[in-house]
Amino acid sequence: MEEEKTVNELVGEFPFLDGAVRVPRARRIFVTVPLDRFQSVFRRLVEAKGFTYLTTITGLDTGETFTLLYHLAAENGVVCTLGTSVPRANPEIESVSRFFNGGDIYERELVDLLGIRVNGLPKGNRYPLPDDWPANQYPLRKDWRPEGAPAEPAEE
Amino acid sequence: MGIGKKIMTWARIKSPWILHFNSGSCNGCDIEIVAALTPRFDVERFGVIIRGTPRHADVLVCSGPVTRQIRDRLKRIYDQMPSPKFVVAVGTCACTGGVFDGCYNVLGGIDSVIPVSAYIPGCPVNPEAIIDGVVKLVGSLEEGKSA
Repeated sequence: MEEEKTVNELVGEFPFLDGAVRVPRARRIFVTVPLDRFQSVFRRLVEAKGFTYLTTITGLDTGETFTLLYHLAAENGVVCTLGTSVPRANPEIESVSRFFNGGDIYERELVDLLGIRVNGLPKGNRYPLPDDWPANQYPLRKDWRPEGAPAEPAEE
Repeated sequence: MGIGKKIMTWARIKSPWILHFNSGSCNGCDIEIVAALTPRFDVERFGVIIRGTPRHADVLVCSGPVTRQIRDRLKRIYDQMPSPKFVVAVGTCACTGGVFDGCYNVLGGIDSVIPVSAYIPGCPVNPEAIIDGVVKLVGSLEEGKSA
């Protein structure tokens, strides 16, 4: 169907993706890319393959790495999930807000809750944690403990 | 009680005006609060009008657990209400923090910030339970208690 065509074109253009694409059911594609090729595959999907909608970005704490899943949707109903990994010791990735203006909100969640550094974010306040949250407490990491949260403010 | 105070109490019993505030809820209880104001359940027959400002309100109807961000705003809204004022905590999250108690950004139920007069549990609250809670609150006014 439509996703077969997209998959074949993608593997043709990026030979390193051979074996990294999975189609478990109709209109659903899963692609895993290494971090250094991520931007080129993402750009191709958005600009040439018709995936004009960034549904959401998922961040996972997978031990030695953080896995990032970018869920893209096309007008014909095909949803493609582009997955990549950043190392835990140096979690850094380029922003996709130049393709999607509203994409910075998902990336700010990665910054606040998992501590991933996203380069190229437009200027803005932190989201979603409050402004007085301490600097290197990342609540959604598996090794975070509630003792890291700030103490309750004293009653007046 | 003097005659002036009797009239004021009578006005508050016969027509408590409410302000609805969401302090971090999923909106399930907000939908039920609005449903209680519709003709099917009709809490407006008790004289309840929903107002847009705390300065006009007798009762603060609040849903949702208190998050760190909302804490100062909720306190400020409560301070802006003129006395005597009452607070109704609608929903399990507003009573105790609900499923979110202990989460990294949640301080607990409404009573961790402001004094609460009536607790209405439920997830979401049945509009009939909201009416029951409002009637009980008004009944306690009649007996002369206040916040």
